[in-house]
Amino acid sequence: MAHPTGKWAEAEIRRDDIKDLMEKTKKLATMYSDLLAIKRGGWENVLRAQLKKEAKEKEKQNG
Amino acid sequence: MAEFQALQTATAEWKPHQIAKAGDIASMAKAAGDLAEVVKETLSLASAGMEVVKLLAQLQNINPLLIALDALADEVLIAIQNIKEAGFWYLYVDPYFIRNVAASPAFTYGFEQLRNPAGDRLWLAKDTQPPPLGTGEFKQTTTTPTQAQLDEQEVIPHLATPRKMVAGGYNPYAGSGVADPLASASPYPKFSVQQVIGEFTKAFDDEGDVPRYRRVGGAPKAGVVVYDKDGNSYSGWDPVKEFGLDLYDIGKAQEDGSIIKDYKAARKPVNSKISPGKPNILGSTSYVGGSGAIAIIIAAPDFEIFAETFDKFSKMFTDIPEFAATTGKGLLDSLNEVLTPANTVIKLTQVDSNYDLFEVGDIIGGQIYGGLTKVLEVNADSVVVSTMTTQKEVMATDDAGNILRYVTTINPNEDERWVDMEIVGKPIRSVDGLNPFITGDTVYEMEQRGTRTDGTPNYVIYGQDTVGAPPSLRKYPKVGKVSMEKLAVLPDSTPPDFGGIQIKEIIPGWGEFFQTLENFVKQLKGMISDSSAFIQDMIDMIKGIEAFLQYLIDAIVEFLEFFQITLPSTGVYALYLPNQSGGNDGIKSQLSGAGGIPDLAYAAGILFVATEGDVFIAGGGSKNPIDLLALVLGLL
Repeated sequence: MAHPTGKWAEAEIRRDDIKDLMEKTKKLATMYSDLLAIKRGGWENVLRAQLKKEAKEKEKQNG
Repeated sequence: MAEFQALQTATAEWKPHQIAKAGDIASMAKAAGDLAEVVKETLSLASAGMEVVKLLAQLQNINPLLIALDALADEVLIAIQNIKEAGFWYLYVDPYFIRNVAASPAFTYGFEQLRNPAGDRLWLAKDTQPPPLGTGEFKQTTTTPTQAQLDEQEVIPHLATPRKMVAGGYNPYAGSGVADPLASASPYPKFSVQQVIGEFTKAFDDEGDVPRYRRVGGAPKAGVVVYDKDGNSYSGWDPVKEFGLDLYDIGKAQEDGSIIKDYKAARKPVNSKISPGKPNILGSTSYVGGSGAIAIIIAAPDFEIFAETFDKFSKMFTDIPEFAATTGKGLLDSLNEVLTPANTVIKLTQVDSNYDLFEVGDIIGGQIYGGLTKVLEVNADSVVVSTMTTQKEVMATDDAGNILRYVTTINPNEDERWVDMEIVGKPIRSVDGLNPFITGDTVYEMEQRGTRTDGTPNYVIYGQDTVGAPPSLRKYPKVGKVSMEKLAVLPDSTPPDFGGIQIKEIIPGWGEFFQTLENFVKQLKGMISDSSAFIQDMIDMIKGIEAFLQYLIDAIVEFLEFFQITLPSTGVYALYLPNQSGGNDGIKSQLSGAGGIPDLAYAAGILFVATEGDVFIAGGGSKNPIDLLALVLGLL
């Protein structure tokens, strides 16, 4: 129920501004974590491929 | 007299405020903004960087995620922008923590009046019946007399012997003399709801409380035309004088010599604010225009409930500088000092064992200086016989009849009647505050006679109502003398009781986190190598950031729990005055006229005032930030 205007009344004061900001920040951090996980997976694939390639080249050099 | 009145005048001042622009909440908002900025920057670099090295096939499939992230980062930035753009004036009235207004003591002094064990005042009523039925003598009664009986001296108060002035004693000049002073005496100074409202309205009347700006270095000479923030020109500039609004120079011409295209970017301020003044529009405090207000008053009939609610309120508004707790001492700690003072050690001497020694649980009080304490502990090792020496003239007659006189030192305490002892006491607040035990004061055992308005006991010297009685009926209190008082131990600290978390505990790690993110972005920017070592570094860094983000999320969850709690409505009163066209006078008049709040004894409050701007804010239908504040505080 909206607080009456122009009249004193007991009120359950909230801080929705801070809550809203924090909830959005939390969502942002969660989604960014998901993105980073994908990126990490990609880089790990790249690293594995790179190491394989280097090993192959080494093998080739050793004949 | 004038100086004294000045001291009595409230020092509550208007201050400018932007929500979440001060204190811990400001740091948090900044941190959230930094995260959003970094995420946005990283996203653009991520796709570009990944394509260059042709490494991440997965990225092709996560475009929707990138778009959503970008949008979310924008939302965070907008949320911050909204709460930062909303500017207010606030007036904080606090008689207890910051103490910018003076609370009044809730008692007057008077002669101590005897009371029966139930706490009823004792009176002496004249037997006014005509002889032979009446005797004309005064007889003790507990029946409260009428004012007429007191005025005619048919009934007189039965005062303690010897007479003693005490806080909350019989005072015929304060009130009628009939009312029991204990019924209104309280150990806590009072500042009522109406006084808070009075301060709110008074602050609008302060003629001198206008915004003031003083010249800055490099300000132009007198007579040069200057401009306000909207570009309106003003003549009469004088660097020696203070002005009521922020002013700017014309700004430098463009490099190509053409006219100034963006005057806001080109100009420089010629003065800066030294005092904000009361709510104003462009420096005018007597504006007639849109303004609105939200007043919040924390009030309770009981000081302890007031202190608890006030503390919760302060934690919810740590973005208000007064509540930022930079002093290291929380509001409740500060109020607790009033409620629970530190224990003290009192060294006593000449405690008369004929009337028993003081024991744990006894209440003792100083006769002259009014110290009052409950004995928590008697240090057993400290109980020793008092060393008492005095000198006595002795006369001796020799065989020749000559009288020899000499002075000898004797011990008057040979029978060990008087002892020294050390006690640990919990000080009790008297109506007139915490009184110390002063060396030399006589200490008596006390007993309860009635209660004060807050329900705490009223103590008097044990047996004082038997002073005039025959010796066989007299009651004698335990007695001793103060040798020394010292502070013993600090009271137990008060653990956080509002969700168990402090915002500032969350903040410190964030700086480090954003530094890491920043480095990450920099490395992405400088990505020129696809060597194994570089890739491994990148993976390690991502792992580190993932761990930190998890920490951040956990912290936010905890933080949100803290803010899920709303302030209890009991004890918190709000008045919402939406945007109206009467300026400051309109607010003042509505503030004085608003009803619906009881006049409780202990109160503090804050008043937010905002003026109407030119543009709609927060995407809403209002141009006044007060409506945004009402929304976020749950009043709309």
